[in-house]
Amino acid sequence: MKKPPRAHLLKYAIGAIVIIGIVSTGFVLVKKSGNVQNSRKADKDAVSAKTQDQEIKIPSSSSLIKEAKAMPVYGHWRNFTTKDGLLNDHVYTVRIVGDSVLAGTHDGLAVYSKGRWHTYTTKDGLAHNGVVSIDYSKTTGDVWIGTLGGLNRWSGGKFETFNQFNSGMPNDLVYCVYCDGKDIWVATGGGAGHYDTFSKQWEIFTEQNAPMHEPWTYGVSTGNGKAYIAAWGGGVIEYNLKTRKFRDYTDPDGFMEIDLQPDDGVIHDITTATTYSDSILWVSTYFGLSRYDGKNWRGYFDMNSGLASNFINFVRAVGPVVFICCDNGLSSTDGKSWVTYKKNDNNSDGKAIIKNFGRKDENNTDTLTTVLPLSPSIAHNFIIGVDADENYLWVATEKGVSCGERLR
Amino acid sequence: MKLRFRILLCSLLLISVSHVYGQEKQVNYGNIPDELVAYDKYQRAYKYHFLTPIEFYGAGREIPAPKDLKEIRIGFLGPLEGSPISSLGKQMLQGSMLAIEEANKKGGYHGIPYKLMVHTDVGLWGAAANEVVKMDDEKVWAWLGTIDDNNSHVAIRATLKLEIPNMNTGDPDPTFTETNIPWVVRVIPDDRQSGYALVDYIFNKMGHTRVAVIRANNRYGRVGILHFTRSATRIGFPIVIEERFMDGETDFKDRLQRIKATSPDAIVIWGNARESALILQQVRELGMKQPVFGSDRMVNPEFLKIAGKLADGVVTTCQYNPDSDDPKLKTFKSNYIKRFGQEPDVFAAHAYDGMNILIAAIEKAGLNRVLIRDVLTDMKTFQGYEGVTGKVVFDATWNNVRPIFMAEVRNGKFIFSPAPRFEKEDKIYKKPKSGYQY
Repeated sequence: MKKPPRAHLLKYAIGAIVIIGIVSTGFVLVKKSGNVQNSRKADKDAVSAKTQDQEIKIPSSSSLIKEAKAMPVYGHWRNFTTKDGLLNDHVYTVRIVGDSVLAGTHDGLAVYSKGRWHTYTTKDGLAHNGVVSIDYSKTTGDVWIGTLGGLNRWSGGKFETFNQFNSGMPNDLVYCVYCDGKDIWVATGGGAGHYDTFSKQWEIFTEQNAPMHEPWTYGVSTGNGKAYIAAWGGGVIEYNLKTRKFRDYTDPDGFMEIDLQPDDGVIHDITTATTYSDSILWVSTYFGLSRYDGKNWRGYFDMNSGLASNFINFVRAVGPVVFICCDNGLSSTDGKSWVTYKKNDNNSDGKAIIKNFGRKDENNTDTLTTVLPLSPSIAHNFIIGVDADENYLWVATEKGVSCGERLR
Repeated sequence: MKLRFRILLCSLLLISVSHVYGQEKQVNYGNIPDELVAYDKYQRAYKYHFLTPIEFYGAGREIPAPKDLKEIRIGFLGPLEGSPISSLGKQMLQGSMLAIEEANKKGGYHGIPYKLMVHTDVGLWGAAANEVVKMDDEKVWAWLGTIDDNNSHVAIRATLKLEIPNMNTGDPDPTFTETNIPWVVRVIPDDRQSGYALVDYIFNKMGHTRVAVIRANNRYGRVGILHFTRSATRIGFPIVIEERFMDGETDFKDRLQRIKATSPDAIVIWGNARESALILQQVRELGMKQPVFGSDRMVNPEFLKIAGKLADGVVTTCQYNPDSDDPKLKTFKSNYIKRFGQEPDVFAAHAYDGMNILIAAIEKAGLNRVLIRDVLTDMKTFQGYEGVTGKVVFDATWNNVRPIFMAEVRNGKFIFSPAPRFEKEDKIYKKPKSGYQY
C-alpha cells in the first residue's frame, strides 16, 4: 500500500532536520577502523580491592593486560592535589629521583618522600615558584630545576640560582632542563644552553650559531652522542657532541597548514619536546608525534594511531616505550601497541584503551581495541609531564599528580 | 513533490554549511585562493591542519573569581622604547589606553576600574617571555600585544604555558596563529591576505611578469613576503631577484643596482616606513621608472614625508580603511586625536578594537582566565564583531580573515579601495582538479 503523502513528508522533514543539525554543529562523523571490545567483559571480570587508603577496581583476568603485549599497563591510580600537600593543582612536571618523586607546580616544588609531600618555594631559594622542568644528574647527584624565572641547582640541601644576569643562561624562562653526565642542557625562551658543571662554562645556541631561524627552544634531550633541541618553528636541531656539528630536521613540505606526505619527516616544525631511548628519537608537536630511527621517520596522528590527541605537551621515553602527554589523555606506545589513559568527564573513573595495530579481530579490521575500566583514573586528561620506573608511572596534570602501579 | 522536497533539502543544507563557525561564506584556510593552495594542483595532502578550532581540555573553569579586588588588570606588551618600531608600539599603547579609559568611564568591571599593566618587549633575548611571566605574577586576566614577530612568538609560548588569554592586534606574521595555541586570538588581518592581494593586483590586474623584491632582513621581511613570492611562483611568475636590507640602513644602492641589472618590470619593497621611503628615493635616483609596490607598513605618515612626491603611484595594502565613513571609526578618531594629539594609525585602531574585545570577554565570562578564553574563542561571541576597523571574521585559528584594502598614493595621500577578490576565470590561473574545502 502506498504511504500517505503526509507521512512521506514527515519522514523527509525529520531526515532534513537531523542532517542540518549534524552539519551546523560542525561535527563530522568519521568511520573508524577497528573494533571496540568494550568493557562488558572487563566490567564483569572486575573485582574490588583495597590498596592503601582507597578502593580500586581491577580486572581479575590478565587477558586485557596481555593485549598490551610488551607495553606496560598501569592501574591502581592514586591522585594527589593541594589537599594532599601540593602547593597548586596545576602541575607542570614530575620526576622520579631514587625513592622520591619531585613535582613542579605553579606555586612551588613538591617532593614526595615516605608517603608525605614536602614543599619548597622562593623562600627556600627557588628562582621562581613556577617549576616547569626537573632533572637529576646521576654523575653529580644534583637536582636541576627549570623555573619560570631561572635555573636552580639543588645540591646539599641548598638552591643555587642561574639566570641571565649572573650566568651565561640564554633566558630566564627554562622550559626544559636535561642532565647528561656532567653536562646540563636547557631549552629557554631565548635559545638553548649547555652548562659544563666541571669547567663551569656556558654555551648558548641560537640562530646566530645553529641552524634555526629564531632562538625559540622548547625542549632538549640527549642520546647516541647527540643533543636534540626541539626548536619551536625550527623542527629538531641535532647537535653532535663530538664533532660539534649541527643538522636540522624540518617538515619537508614547507607549509604550516598541511602534512603533504605521511612519514616524510618530522610532522611539523612547531616541536615541543624530544626524547631518545632504545636507538629511537621521539619528537612531540602540537600536530602529532614523530619517531625517527636514524634512517626513517614515522608520523602518528590521532587518526592513524592510538594517540589520545595531536596536541602533545611533552614526551619521555623509558626503554622501548614512550609516554606521550596529550591535552586530552596520556598515551604510551612502543610504535606498535598503544595504551591510552583517559579520565571520564563526569566522575573520577576512567579507562585504559589498548590498541594493537596490524592484528585482525573478528570483523577482520586491522586494529584490535580493548578497553580496561579504571577506578579511579588519572587526575585529569590535560597531561603536562610524566616519568616512569619499573613499577610506577607518575603523571603531572592540570588537576594534580597521579601515580599508577604497573599491572602484571 | 519529491523533487521539490529534494531542492528544499539541498538549499537548507547549503545554508547550514555556509554558517558553520558563523562565517558568512566557507573559504579555504587562511582565505587561500583555490589556485594557490599548496600542492593542490598535483596531489591532496595527507593531512590538513587548522580546519576546525582546537579545543582546550585543561582545568581551571571551576576556579572562583577572587574577592576584594581593587583593580582588574589587563597586560600590555609592545615595543615602547629602543626599537625601530617604537612609534608603532606607542600607537598600540594609546589605542589600548583609550579603550580602558572609556570602559572605566562606564563603571569598569562592576564598579572596579580596569588597569593596564604596561610592559615593553625590547631587551635581552627572550625578554618578551620574561615579561609574560611578570604579567602572570601581576595576575592579569588577559593581555594585548605585540608587533614584532620574534617577540610575539616568544610571548605566546609563555602565554600557553601560563594559560593567559592573548589578543594580538599588531603582528601580521601568518605563522603566529599557525602555532595551534588555544589561548591566542588575532584581530589584525595577516600578511597572507596582503600577499594574495598584491599577487592578484601586480600579476593579474597590472599584467607584470618580472617582479623584483627587496625586503627587510628580519622575520617580518622573511615571513611577510613569503606568501607573495610563493604564490607568484605558483601562478608562473617567479620573483626575478630578492635582495635584503637591515633596519636602520640608509644606503641601498648596491642592491638596487643588482635589481636594476635584472630589468624587472615592477619592484616590491617589504619593510618599515622609513627604509621603504629611502629605497623608493634611491630607486628613482638610479633612473629606475618601474612601478613600486610594498607592504602595509608604508601606510604611515613617515613614508609620505620622506618619499614626498615620489610616493605618488605607490600601491600597497592596508588591513582596514582608515577613511571609512563608519560613524564608529569617526568617533574613535576624534576621541583619539583629542586624547593624544595625533591621528591614530593601524596599530592604534586595531589595539582599540582588540582591547574592547578583551574587556567585553571579561565582562561576559567573569574573572576566570579559562572562561575568558572560552568566550574569546567560541566562534560566536566575537564572530562578526563590528569594530572601528571593520568586521572580525575568525577562521579556525582565530585569525581575522576579513577582506583587506588596497592603498594607492595619489597627490601625496593614500586612497583606499577594497582589495579585489581573485577572479578564478582569469586566464593566468589554472583551475585545480581537486579542491580544499571545509
